[in-house]
Amino acid sequence: MASDSLAGVPLAWPEQPGELPRRFDSRQALEAELQQLFPEAPGALSPIRGGRRQAETLLNRLQPERYAKGRNFLDGPVTRLSPYIRHGVLTLAEVRDAVFARTRSRQGSEKLINELGWRDYWQRLWQQLGDGIWRDQEELKTGHSAAAYASTLPADIDEGRTGLACMDGFIAELHTSGWLHNHARMWLAAYLVHWRRIRWQAGAQWFLRHLLDGDPASNNLSWQWVASSFSHKPYFFNRGNLERYSNGSFCRSCALREQGCPFDASYEQLEAELFAPLPAIRAVDQRNREGGRDRNSTRQGAPSAALSRPARRR
Amino acid sequence: MQRPILLAYGEALGPANPALLAYPDRPAVFVFDSALLAGLSPTTGDPEGPNEPVSLQRIGFLYECLLELPVSLRKGDVAEEVLAFARAHGAEGIVTSAGTDPRVAAICQTLEQQLPVEVLAVEPFVQLEGPADLGRFSRYWRRAEREVWASWGQEG
Repeated sequence: MASDSLAGVPLAWPEQPGELPRRFDSRQALEAELQQLFPEAPGALSPIRGGRRQAETLLNRLQPERYAKGRNFLDGPVTRLSPYIRHGVLTLAEVRDAVFARTRSRQGSEKLINELGWRDYWQRLWQQLGDGIWRDQEELKTGHSAAAYASTLPADIDEGRTGLACMDGFIAELHTSGWLHNHARMWLAAYLVHWRRIRWQAGAQWFLRHLLDGDPASNNLSWQWVASSFSHKPYFFNRGNLERYSNGSFCRSCALREQGCPFDASYEQLEAELFAPLPAIRAVDQRNREGGRDRNSTRQGAPSAALSRPARRR
Repeated sequence: MQRPILLAYGEALGPANPALLAYPDRPAVFVFDSALLAGLSPTTGDPEGPNEPVSLQRIGFLYECLLELPVSLRKGDVAEEVLAFARAHGAEGIVTSAGTDPRVAAICQTLEQQLPVEVLAVEPFVQLEGPADLGRFSRYWRRAEREVWASWGQEG
């Protein structure tokens, strides 16, 4: 990045004393200035650049059909548009039209349009709920009382030293890039809420501090979906699921790959371990099994990194 | 509105911002909201949780978006800074874009005690007549999907 200077577009009016600078010799100079201006803010600049030019570059790479097939994989063809959509650099209507312009058959683009719909849905709910978006929308279906969940983030999570290669990898990416694939968000959220039994609000706030696309709509309601305060059952996963959609990249280097992985069990075993018996969950689960759906299968309405929403079973 | 200033905030940092489109020659401002960045607002922090500041990567991302827009940059209390900007430019009102965050609506209410505020709509993803059932996504999508795809049909 040799020609790295960052000059703001010119203003047609005189600047006032005390206004913030709009010209920098380099991205490093911008970072240094921001560290001066915002000394409380932890971290450094993300490798992901803000701005319309970068947003349009990504928009031009949209491949709705490939997205539909491969979006669940961490290295799959997801759009990475979420930070730009969240901040209105691109409107949802502009992205919709870009998808339409690349649509040969409706079926091939339905998944991506559906994911944009999720973003619109969460925004409508935020409008309706206001700051109530921080409260449980429904009772938890985990069999545990709300009081059973810790209210703060443990240090090993905040510092990314849980000893689990996958979780520590996701945490490092959250802290350095401010963006995570939606599947990684779901796994990390489920680990926090169900394995570590931490209030979803603590995790949601942690994500909002770091995610470039963080807003309480998609973020909090997705945490509530994982926790089960906005869904009919808690979301959890097992090693087989994580290993498949991460192409084994974390498990290969994990110290716990042979023994001690907390995710290395069947869904039945994990359910018994993580949740207290609750007749309603089991009744729903039984119906789902009879319907031929399995937690290991690719889920209906599965995750979109663009929209920080977990996969859902409906 | 005659001689307004324009208020941009974190939900409309692109060229489709309707205030920037409607008044391309008027001075515009964005204020880095000190309370929000300190985690003191429900936009970034649990009202019942510990107050923790937003990371530099989020601020940097916003800053890079803002450098590509014609807006003056300030930081502090949003309403105070916007009113100071309006005074400096002899403005008779404030124009901004419609959004979702309740914090923006509250700031606009404060501004309205001093100057008229005009809020312009952003093109929606989908227009639904009447209230939508948001109990679950599936109920919303049953209605919305048809409307969204109708606009593809028109174009195609």
